Amino acid sequence: MSTQEKLKVSRRQFMGMSGALVLGMYLPVGKLAAKAGVSAAGKVNAFLVIAPDNSITFYNPFIEMGQGTYTSIPTLVAEELDADLSAMQIAQAPHGDDYKIMFNNTVRFTGGSLSVRSSYETMRRAGATARAMLINAAAEKWQVKASDCKTEPGFVINQSTGDKLSYGELAPLAATQTVPEDLPLKESKDFRLIGKPVKRTDSLAKATGTANFGIDTQIDGMLVAVVKQSPVFGGKVKSFDAAAVKDMPGVKWVDPIPDGVAVIADNYWHALKAIQALPVSFDEGANAKFSSAAYLQSLQDNLDTAGVNVENKGDVATALKSAETKLTADYHVPFLAHATLEPMNCTALVTDNNCTVWAPNQGADFVAGTAAGITGLPLDAITVETPFLGGGFGRRFLMDFVAQAVTLAKAHKGIPIKVVWSREEDTQHDFYRPMTAARYRAGLDANGKPVALHVTNVGEGPMGRLNPEFLADPKIDTTVVEGVEKQPYEIANHKLDYVHMPLSPVPIGYWRSVAHSVNGFIKESFIDEMAHAAKKDPVAFRLSMLSNSPRFAAVLKKAAAMADWNPSVVEKNGVKHAMGVSLHESFGSLVAQVAEVSIENKKINVHKVWCVVDCGFAVNPAIVKMQMESALAFGLSAAMGEEITMEKGRVRQTNFHTYPILMGKDMPEVETEIINSGATMGGVGEIGTPPIASAVCNALFTLTGKRIRTLPLSKTDLNA
Amino acid sequence: MTQLMINGKAYDVDVEDDMPLLWVIRDVIGFTGTKFGCGMGLCGACSIHIDGNVARSCITPVAAAKGKNITTIEGLGTPDNPHPVQQAWAESDVPQCGYCQSGQIMAAASLLKENPKPNEDDIKNGMTNYCRCGTYLQIHAAVKKASDLIGDES
Repeated sequence: MSTQEKLKVSRRQFMGMSGALVLGMYLPVGKLAAKAGVSAAGKVNAFLVIAPDNSITFYNPFIEMGQGTYTSIPTLVAEELDADLSAMQIAQAPHGDDYKIMFNNTVRFTGGSLSVRSSYETMRRAGATARAMLINAAAEKWQVKASDCKTEPGFVINQSTGDKLSYGELAPLAATQTVPEDLPLKESKDFRLIGKPVKRTDSLAKATGTANFGIDTQIDGMLVAVVKQSPVFGGKVKSFDAAAVKDMPGVKWVDPIPDGVAVIADNYWHALKAIQALPVSFDEGANAKFSSAAYLQSLQDNLDTAGVNVENKGDVATALKSAETKLTADYHVPFLAHATLEPMNCTALVTDNNCTVWAPNQGADFVAGTAAGITGLPLDAITVETPFLGGGFGRRFLMDFVAQAVTLAKAHKGIPIKVVWSREEDTQHDFYRPMTAARYRAGLDANGKPVALHVTNVGEGPMGRLNPEFLADPKIDTTVVEGVEKQPYEIANHKLDYVHMPLSPVPIGYWRSVAHSVNGFIKESFIDEMAHAAKKDPVAFRLSMLSNSPRFAAVLKKAAAMADWNPSVVEKNGVKHAMGVSLHESFGSLVAQVAEVSIENKKINVHKVWCVVDCGFAVNPAIVKMQMESALAFGLSAAMGEEITMEKGRVRQTNFHTYPILMGKDMPEVETEIINSGATMGGVGEIGTPPIASAVCNALFTLTGKRIRTLPLSKTDLNA
Repeated sequence: MTQLMINGKAYDVDVEDDMPLLWVIRDVIGFTGTKFGCGMGLCGACSIHIDGNVARSCITPVAAAKGKNITTIEGLGTPDNPHPVQQAWAESDVPQCGYCQSGQIMAAASLLKENPKPNEDDIKNGMTNYCRCGTYLQIHAAVKKASDLIGDES
C-alpha cells in the first residue's frame, strides 16, 4: 500500500502563532505518544500554516535542487486548498519524524525521482483538509451549511449572500474545527493547476541573485574553513605543521578533521592560501597503489564468472548453442563525478545545548543524525536549515561535508563555521558513479528473431555499499542490475547474472539515475547490435519484441514519428547525418529518444534529440519537459567527455579542464512530447538520462560503422 | 585600504592585492549573488561586470578592479526592478537549480550590450558559462527574449 494512506491529517496548537490554522501530519498510531511529548515541549511540526495576515506557508518535506519540487509539491496543496500558488510561501520543513512521509513513514529524502509520485495524495489531502476546515469555520460564522459555501483562491464565499471571508480572517476559527476525515479529493476534470504548465515559484529569486544557497550562508561571527583531505582514499593525516601558516593573513586555527585537515580563517581566500601552504604528510595506507585501470581489468576478468543468478527464463545455454547467428559484446563504463556547480559546503554552529546546521542536503534527517552523532546532543537539539541546492544529482545524500563542519564547530563552540570545498576537493572526494563491466551474449534464429539473451553485469552498486538494508535480496545489488533486470523485450530464453566485485576503496554513490545510467547505455546499444546482426530496422526490431508492452511500443513509435525516423545515413549541406534510437524504463516511467548526429572535423555534433516520455501523468508538463532536457544533457555530458580515473590511489581529475561538462554550444535541440497514459505515476527527474548515450552511439554506428562499447566518446577515435 | 565601487557604492576593504574579486565581493563585502564554481575562470558562475565588460571574478585580482565600476547581479536589477535580462530569465522559467544563473545573466547582459541583436550562433558561441542542469536551450531563448525586451524599451 502507498505511504500516504497511512497518514492522518491533524490539527495542532501552534505556539507563538496564535490564531493560525496549522496543519500537521500525525504518524500512524504507535508513534503518537512520542509526538505528543514533542508538542508539549512547544515544538510543532506543521506542513501548512494559514495565518490571520492571510499568509500561507507551506513546509516542503522535499528539497529544491532544480527539479521543480518548490513548484510541483505546493501545486498539489494549492490545488485542493484553492489557494493562489504564487502567493504561497514555501519553506523547507525541518528534520524529524513528522516529515518522514515516505516508505510507510520510515524515511524522508529527496531522490529516487520519488517526490511528486510518493506525495501526490498526501499533499492534496493536506490542502483539502485545510479548505474543509476553512469552509466549516465560515459556515459557523455565517450560520449556514458548509454546502452553502464555496471557495475561490484565498476566500470562502457564501453562495446565497455573496459574502466572502479571506482564509486569514477565518484561520482562528478554522483552527478550532474538528479535523475532517476521508475527504473526497478533486476529480481531475476540475483541476485548476495540476496537469497545467504552472510557472515555477523560484525563478525571480534565482534570476536576481537573491535565492539563498548553502554556500551563501552568512552568520554573525562566522569563519570559513577550507579542507584538505587525504588524496589517497582511506589515508590518514600523519602530521601537519600549523605553525608554518598561523601568521598568514586571516588564519585562526588549523584543525584535524576525519581523513584530513582544515584551515579556519576569516574568509575562503585566506583559508585556501593557508591550506595550500600548509605542510601536511599523509599516511597513505593500504590503497596507495590501486588504479582504476587495474579495477577495470578485475571486472573484465570476471565477465564469465557465474556470479548470482538474477533472472532465468527458458534455457539460454541451449538456445544460444543452436542459434543461427550468435553475437557477444563486452561493454564497460567509467567512474563519474556529480560535479554539482555549487561545491560541497556546510555551516555549523555548536553550543553546549544546541547545534544548528545549514546544509545543502537531500535528507534533513541524515544531517540531523550526523550532527547528533558528533555532538552527542539529542536530535531535538539539532536544527537543520536547508537552503536551495546548487545541484544535487545524488551527491548530497552523503554527509561527509556535514561531519566536517560539525566537527570543526564542536571544537570552537559558539562560532559558526562554514566549510567550503575547493572544486579540486569536490572532484577528488566525490562518491562516484561506479565503474561497471558487462558481457552480453545473444542468439538469433534464421529469420533474425532473437531467441536468447544472456547478460552478466560485474561490479558493485551504491545501495549494497551504503544502504544494504534496502536490498530485497542481499546478494543482488539492484543498483548494478536495475535497467537490464525486468527489461521489456520478449526473448524466449533470457538470463541475467550479477557478479559482485567490490570497488573498495573507491567511494561510490548514487548518480542521477544510478545503474540505469549504465544499463540504459549498454542494453540499448547491444539491442542495436542485435538489430544490425538481424539486418532489421532498429525501431522495427524493438517493436517486434514489444507486442505485450503497449506503453513501451507507444513511446517508441511516437519518438520515431516525431523524428521522421530514418535508419540510413542522409546528407545535409554536404555533411553526413545519422539517427540512433533508444528506449528505457526507469523509476516507473518510460522514455524513448532519437538522436541525430554528424561528425565534422572529427567533432561529434548531436544536432537534435526527439524525446517521448510516459510518466503516467505529468503534474506539471512544463517542468517534466525541462527535466527531460536537463537529464539528457546530464547523460550526454557524461557520454561525451566525463570520466574519473585513479592512479596510485588518487583521482587524476581536478577541475573542469580535466573533468569537462557539456557546454551550451554542444547542447542539442530537444523536442519533447509527454504521453499521459494514466498508468501508475512514475518519476521524472532522472529518467531522461539513461537512454541518451545509446541513442547517440547507435547513431554513430550508422554513421561510421564503429560500435562504441565504452564511454566517454572523447576516448574513442571514430576515424580509426 | 582599497576602495572599490560596487553597484554604485564605494567600499573600503583591507585585503591583499592578489585576493580574487569574487571573495572580496562574497566574503568581505557580503554580496552572495555572485557564485563560486571552479576558481579557475572555467565555469563562469562568478561572472560580474567591470566597467560594463564581463569578467570572471574568481581569477580577477582585486588590484585589477581599483578605480573601476564593478557590477554584480544585485546591481544589475532587483526583484522589484529587474534588468530586462533578469526579466526574460524569470518570465521564461530558465533556472533549475539556479546556481549558475547569476553568472549566465551577467554574461548575457554583457553580450547584449556588445551585440543588441545577436543571431543564434552569436548566442551559442557567446554564452560560454557552464550549466550543470543543462538549461542551455532556455538560456539561449531567454537571451533572444531579452534582446527583444531591450529593443522594445529603446
